Amino acid sequence: MKVLGAAWDELYSVMTQMVQGLFRHGLPLTDKIAARTALTNFFLHIHPVRVRRSWIRMSYTLCLGGLSFFLFIVLTVTGLYLMFYYVPSVEHAYQDMYDLKFVVTFGGVIRNMHRWAAHAMVITVWLHVARVFYTGAYKKPREFNWAIGTTLLLITLLLSFTGYLLPWDQLSIWAITVGTNMARYAPIAGPYTRYLMLGGKVVGANALLRFYVAHVVGLPLVAFLLMVVHFWRVRKDGFSGGL
Amino acid sequence: MQDIKRLIEDSREMSRRSFFSIAGWGAFTVGSAIALWESLGPPPVGKTGVDGSGGFLNPNVLYEDPAAFKAGLPTEYALGSTTVLTDKRVVINRDPNGFYAISLICTHLGCTPRYFSDVTSDLVTQGISGIRDPDTRQVANKANPILPGFKCPCHGSRYFRDAINFFGPAPRPMDRVSVELGRDGRLLIDRSVVVDRNFRLKA
Repeated sequence: MKVLGAAWDELYSVMTQMVQGLFRHGLPLTDKIAARTALTNFFLHIHPVRVRRSWIRMSYTLCLGGLSFFLFIVLTVTGLYLMFYYVPSVEHAYQDMYDLKFVVTFGGVIRNMHRWAAHAMVITVWLHVARVFYTGAYKKPREFNWAIGTTLLLITLLLSFTGYLLPWDQLSIWAITVGTNMARYAPIAGPYTRYLMLGGKVVGANALLRFYVAHVVGLPLVAFLLMVVHFWRVRKDGFSGGL
Repeated sequence: MQDIKRLIEDSREMSRRSFFSIAGWGAFTVGSAIALWESLGPPPVGKTGVDGSGGFLNPNVLYEDPAAFKAGLPTEYALGSTTVLTDKRVVINRDPNGFYAISLICTHLGCTPRYFSDVTSDLVTQGISGIRDPDTRQVANKANPILPGFKCPCHGSRYFRDAINFFGPAPRPMDRVSVELGRDGRLLIDRSVVVDRNFRLKA
């Protein structure tokens, strides 16, 4: 009996240690504990320790940046799902897109979530840029973050453009034909840029693969890195809204 | 900048540390520049692409449809006919004075225009005048509103049957490409060779 009691005590202390290891700060019952938790927790560090009521006025930011990020997450998750069925080759792309719509369980939901979130993200990012512009939030000391933001806008548009080719239907092929021909009109580097984008002279197998790689790896990676810096700078530069 | 300046000043009586620092960063910079050039270097020159070599991301060999192809015997084309080879994106016209081929690529932004036996009457109805083909001198007016030609589905450019643009955003006529008679007596079209607007193959 004594041995059993000692074993229980030992087990209890180990369990306590494990729980305390996971939940290191206890309940945020006082301002001090809440502040320390926010400062030392990786997932909470993105939040300011203290927030003034005027900073979170919905009518000022309209949540547009947050909505854009939310849509980015939706697109990342649904995009990952789509990658299980979609093969970026001339033989398979269109058929795989149709399978996703009509054969795969919930494939239509996933594809449409991806599609609508993509359209919505282009809209929210544009509105976010417009909001920042009209409230003058791009001014000193936030010029650097404005520059990162405009780059993120460009990447959002490029993600939309590259994703447009992937269903590989007539609309996609001719839209990319038109889009890359617009790039060709650029002085000096125009024809080179088009050749580099398409990996050839017409929208074909090389172009499909290139747009796929850019769409699922290259652009999201750059977008993610810039977003990290973007949010970090929002924290460091402070809110532009009323004080 | 301050650090670089100090590095250079230090290097006057260069320590081993700053020497290796400069050498290391220098090698890194040069290596990165070379890697960038090898990745994005200019595309290969020449129409086949085999006689040059570009950066990694610019393919040296393309497995696209070859530019040249055979298009049957001349007798298969009736006098005054317009034949659209959709997959090849080429049109073969046969007129009394010979054959010529059109590259069916819109000069605006590269879509494929489509053949219609009437591309003018709706414009004439709208009251647009002065629709005139400078080469054939054909005019579309109230008395004779219908002319055949091509309409582009993307942005509505219109061309006469002989590829001359007359409406919409297209900046110039579609290219005429080379037509020859092959040794086997069949027409040989080469889409990579653009020829003059007056070119005709007598056959």
